[in-house]
Amino acid sequence: MTRGDKFLLAGLLLFSLLSAGALYGRWLLPQDQKKAMRAVVTVQGKVVRRIDLASGARSSFVVDGRVGSSTVEVDGARVRMLEAPCAGGICVKQSWIAHPGQSVVCIPGEILIRIEGAAPLDAVSR
Amino acid sequence: MTKHDTRGLVYLSMLVAMGTALHVVEGMLSIPMPVPGVKLGLANMVTLLALHLYGFRDGLTVALMRVLLASLVSGMFLSPGFLLGISGALGSTVVMALLLKHTRCFSMIGISMAGAVGHNAGQLLAASLVLQSGAVVYYLPVLLLTGIPTGFFTGYLLNSLLQHESGIVRDLAPTASAPR
Repeated sequence: MTRGDKFLLAGLLLFSLLSAGALYGRWLLPQDQKKAMRAVVTVQGKVVRRIDLASGARSSFVVDGRVGSSTVEVDGARVRMLEAPCAGGICVKQSWIAHPGQSVVCIPGEILIRIEGAAPLDAVSR
Repeated sequence: MTKHDTRGLVYLSMLVAMGTALHVVEGMLSIPMPVPGVKLGLANMVTLLALHLYGFRDGLTVALMRVLLASLVSGMFLSPGFLLGISGALGSTVVMALLLKHTRCFSMIGISMAGAVGHNAGQLLAASLVLQSGAVVYYLPVLLLTGIPTGFFTGYLLNSLLQHESGIVRDLAPTASAPR
């Protein structure tokens, strides 16, 4: 093994480690992809309230819909319709939502609660 | 291919046969690695020997004939693996021939390592063309980190073979070039 071999070996190893670092490095770093999740409440198409779901606080508030007042409850990262004046109560029965893309809809009151962001993929086929 | 006498032709054919055998047998060995595509590259030794003794044209002929025959034997002719093999053989042969001709500071070990890297580069280039995607570049560090040691060992083997005191390799080879 000559000097040239040793330099070549060192250079190639350095290059491969550097390329490994450059290509794989971003998977080794800690990820902070958790974006601040927000829920948006709209009545008859107009946004009436935005809720920060990252704060972790528990609260409830009243939304005036087309058929009366509904109560929305926030608990940390999840939201639900606690009470609604409508006949079916479907929005109340749907209970908590917590993931981006999910929504609670009250048709008679025309109230929509939606968590912002793209829904995660159900499955990937390839 | 340059003009050879019968002895030279027979010797080159023997190199092709050896390379084919090494290539095929090597394909039967499964190397316990988490990723596919990691091989010892023993057949590269034969390419390097042909390059060393006869120069670029004959080395390239031996390498390409070896890949062609090995793919026919193992039933992989014109498969994606065959295309990768051809491009890898081209890459390693060109790199090794350039180093053999234009540098004096490397032994067979260094040239074999550089050839392994050239092999990986050629393979990745072909793979990215076949897959129409540049994402295969993420495979490069894996190939490099396994290719460098295997290149080292095949080069070490060839070095030992060429320096063996019996001089068997040079004696058998007709019109062998001066030792370096």
